[in-house]
Amino acid sequence: MTDNILLEIKHLSKKYDEAHPLRDVNCTVSKGEVISIIGPSGTGKSTLLRCINRLETPTCGEIYIMGEKITDDPKEIRKMRREVGMVFQSFNLFSNMNVLENIITGPVMLRGTSKEEAVKRGMELLQMVGLSGKEHHFPDELSGGQKQRVAIARALAMEPKILLFDEPTSALDPKMVNEVLYVIRGLAAKDYTMLIVTHEMRFAEYVSSRVFYMDEGVIFEDGTPDQIFHHPNEMKTRAFVNHYHTYETTFNDNKFDLAGVTAELAEFVKKQYMNQKQQTALEHIFEECVVVELLSSEKNVYPVHFCAMCGENGEDCSVELTYCGVPFNPFDREESLSIKIVKPFLDEVNYSCNNGENKLLMQVKRL
Amino acid sequence: MTIESKKDAGKLTLTITGRLDTSTAPKLEEELKASYDGVTELVFDLAKLEYISSAGLRVLLSAQKTMNKQGSMKVINVGEEIMEIFEITGFTDILNIG
Repeated sequence: MTDNILLEIKHLSKKYDEAHPLRDVNCTVSKGEVISIIGPSGTGKSTLLRCINRLETPTCGEIYIMGEKITDDPKEIRKMRREVGMVFQSFNLFSNMNVLENIITGPVMLRGTSKEEAVKRGMELLQMVGLSGKEHHFPDELSGGQKQRVAIARALAMEPKILLFDEPTSALDPKMVNEVLYVIRGLAAKDYTMLIVTHEMRFAEYVSSRVFYMDEGVIFEDGTPDQIFHHPNEMKTRAFVNHYHTYETTFNDNKFDLAGVTAELAEFVKKQYMNQKQQTALEHIFEECVVVELLSSEKNVYPVHFCAMCGENGEDCSVELTYCGVPFNPFDREESLSIKIVKPFLDEVNYSCNNGENKLLMQVKRL
Repeated sequence: MTIESKKDAGKLTLTITGRLDTSTAPKLEEELKASYDGVTELVFDLAKLEYISSAGLRVLLSAQKTMNKQGSMKVINVGEEIMEIFEITGFTDILNIG
């Protein structure tokens, strides 16, 4: 492990009786990285942060902080928490303490910092988060945005190596979101290492050095903000960041119900306000590419996954087809009647094959 | 898909309504095989055809090949969308479209 790596997660899984939010999370985080974690609700983003600082006990897997494996030993956990600061959605300030007391209690009690030193540092931090003059106020006297900024100052007072933010603006009035994001942006510029679970996509795009798109209990895609928000490799990432609507169906053998899928596609088209031509395009893509080229072939291509998606009012419609087996791009067979039929409906076709998975991405023409 | 069949001496007219796709094309193929006998003029009326896929095109192509041997074949009342499919697949050069 290099000195630069602050956090390493290996095969992390968290399972409850009725949910399995984390299935197999793997990642490394280096010093100074600002990582935003995005993804649909219920995909384990917050659970991941809570496992990192042991508010939740992982079902299995390993977490290393600065090369040290985190165990269930309470002493170890206390030691680790000095290095890992956390800012919660609901602030979690001590309501019986004023702002300054909230900030200095940790360093004095857990780090052994002198009260004088802690107060000095606390005042500096309050200035940094734009709350000079509020040190004697109690949490009840502050707005949501101010409370969250105190929570950030409190986390920083412990001089953590890593800061975890769990949806820091989700509980805030929209007017107060920006003041908190502004403070976090300032920290990013100061080289703090941070993991931020957020639904603020523009913020995630501009503040992060890396973005994790989480889905299905794993880090589904890990890339630069430019990749994740503008050129995602995964269809699910693309659908999520663009708020796309999807229609998906999977085939595990060559049995298909063409009339059923056609009816479901028609329903999807109607719901998304797409037009008749787009419907025809999707029907042809499904029948020619999936039914004729894949399901009716003798090839072992299963499972075959068909996913149609589009933005608001049917804009930016595309289809992703994934299937197994030997590398096979139906569009190489230009003489095929099916391909001749489908091609005029498409603007662009991208084919790739990685580790035995064929992927065909078809951008439907604006019709 | 429904097929309406009308026979007048050696002329057989098939009016196809709905979708001619992978699921329905075999039905048309069967209907044709059972009717070729004695037909010298085969007419497909496609006014009510809403959708045609490669499977439907193959049935038309096979019918054209059969009729080349025993008479003539014509496709009439082709709507705009179906015509587009005929054009992009080169079927406008194969079929006699009236």
